[in-house]
Amino acid sequence: MFRLTANDLTVGYDKVPIIQNLSVTIPDKQITSIIGSNGCGKSTLLKAITRIIPYEDGSVLLDGSQIATMKTKDVAKKMAILPQSPDSASGLTVGELVSYGRFPHQSGLGRLKQADIDVIHWAMEVTAIIGFKHRTVDELSGGQRQRVWIAMALAQETDIILLDEPTTYLDMAHQLDILQLLEQLNKQEGRTIIMVLHDINQAARFSDHLLAMRSGQIIQTGSPGEVLTKEMLRNVYEIDGEIGTDPRTGKPICITYDLIKQKEQHNNEKKIHSAI
Amino acid sequence: MIPSQLIRKQRIIIFILLLLIIMTSIIAIGVGSSSVSIDRLIPTILGNGTFKEDFVFFSIRLPRLIIIVLAGMALALSGAILQALTRNDLADPGIIGINSGAGLAIAVFFLFMPIEVENFVYMLPVVAFIGAMATAILIYIFSHQRKTGLNPIHLVLVGVGFSMALSGLMVILTSGAKNEKVDFIANWLAGNIWGTDWPFILALLPWILILFPYTYIKSHQLNIFGMSEPVGIGLGMHVEKERIVLLMVAVALAAATVSVTGGIVFIGLMAPHIAKGLVGPRHQLFLPITILMGAWLLLVADTIGRNILQPEGIPTGIVVAIIGAPYFIYLLLRSK
Repeated sequence: MFRLTANDLTVGYDKVPIIQNLSVTIPDKQITSIIGSNGCGKSTLLKAITRIIPYEDGSVLLDGSQIATMKTKDVAKKMAILPQSPDSASGLTVGELVSYGRFPHQSGLGRLKQADIDVIHWAMEVTAIIGFKHRTVDELSGGQRQRVWIAMALAQETDIILLDEPTTYLDMAHQLDILQLLEQLNKQEGRTIIMVLHDINQAARFSDHLLAMRSGQIIQTGSPGEVLTKEMLRNVYEIDGEIGTDPRTGKPICITYDLIKQKEQHNNEKKIHSAI
Repeated sequence: MIPSQLIRKQRIIIFILLLLIIMTSIIAIGVGSSSVSIDRLIPTILGNGTFKEDFVFFSIRLPRLIIIVLAGMALALSGAILQALTRNDLADPGIIGINSGAGLAIAVFFLFMPIEVENFVYMLPVVAFIGAMATAILIYIFSHQRKTGLNPIHLVLVGVGFSMALSGLMVILTSGAKNEKVDFIANWLAGNIWGTDWPFILALLPWILILFPYTYIKSHQLNIFGMSEPVGIGLGMHVEKERIVLLMVAVALAAATVSVTGGIVFIGLMAPHIAKGLVGPRHQLFLPITILMGAWLLLVADTIGRNILQPEGIPTGIVVAIIGAPYFIYLLLRSK
């Protein structure tokens, strides 16, 4: 089943197309990661799918309806977005920020019903931030704050959650922490997760499905084993990498790499050395 | 989800502000030229005043007082909306040029239209709104960049530029005009509150009665504007539609007010900022405090202005600027 698909999507800023005629289907109840080099259009794709930026041509379908013609509140009941480095007004408590996730379910003045409060409570419990409920968001560390934003997205009660580089600006431990939280949401709560990730090893470790992009096109899709290959690294990142198997997770891993230009240089130097 | 001690704090602050407004009003009426002494105030209100007391109280002081309270409230609310929409504590209808747009439209109207006093009063807010809205649209176009959106510092700079250019235009317009009309425009620029009669209250009141509750109902949306735009879109808010409507509300509030009070700057900057400092960024809590704070600040400024430098006093707008300009500079330095 594919609830979320894009067909012949063309997206651009100032008429320069960043993405052209791109089609993709997102598998349900799985973790999908979009990978690719800087400027390949992976964030743009996520923004177009989530209606943050408009697309020029093509369509994005959610449960068979065009997102562009759906009521924006109805879209927000089906998919939640965590944009790259979001920010909030200073002075809000964790509980309040999470409660904003109820916006698409509220009407009028935005009073919270008991059902809303229960969902907010649940979202804070799942993300293990219930202990900070009354603290202000500003006091928290980067990793904790990211958990609060994920809780807000959860409070939207959507089956689909999209995240744009959720681990940026976090240290190694907190990056893992956030990714494990997302894995848990996928496994235990059955949420479909789509994210843009920079780190290909993290993408391979936590995703069921990878989309590799280059200059506005998806050039490879499939399981991490199928996508994380020497060939893909060369095509997408222009690097020459060694692929091994992670001894702990059994997932493919890029152990080391060189830039392709550097490698040629390296070989040339070797040749020069041996010639001497 | 709002902490209950904050709600209690808000109630107490509202109570204190109401008290301050009443006390300042009594002092304002009791001092200066054409005053009603404090011990005669209650008898006069109850209808037992002398002819002179009645006249001074009901025809001079009370309408001025009401105009000032309403104007302070409207300017403060306008500032609060602009600050939320631009995510910028420096936004104020005066600073970003909306007031000058209203002023220019009024000047043109005043200089070139044959004036019938009756309709003049009720036309003013409408004329001011047209001028202010046109200016707001221009400022928006000039400070909006496609990639970065509305840059806060950019907006203030463009606004200040517009504000100065439009004030200059007003001066040029007056250079060929008759003396009394020049006086009017010079007074307007200085923020000398002139519309201090009952018809002006009636002209201002409908705008306020409609736009105050409307803005309060939009508290939740204004809160969401406090987060970055993609978050608002993700939550299913019509960001673009809400922004345009609320911007029109802010412009209408400022335009209706300054059409009666002249160019008063900084109330819309200070009042919301102080209110946020007291109870935090939730609009449902700080908007009521903002409007009361705006009313009180303008009342204090007007009372000082009227009683300093006898007999004419100095225009209220100048007193507000003397208090507000350092506050603005403080915010500007802090917002780096």
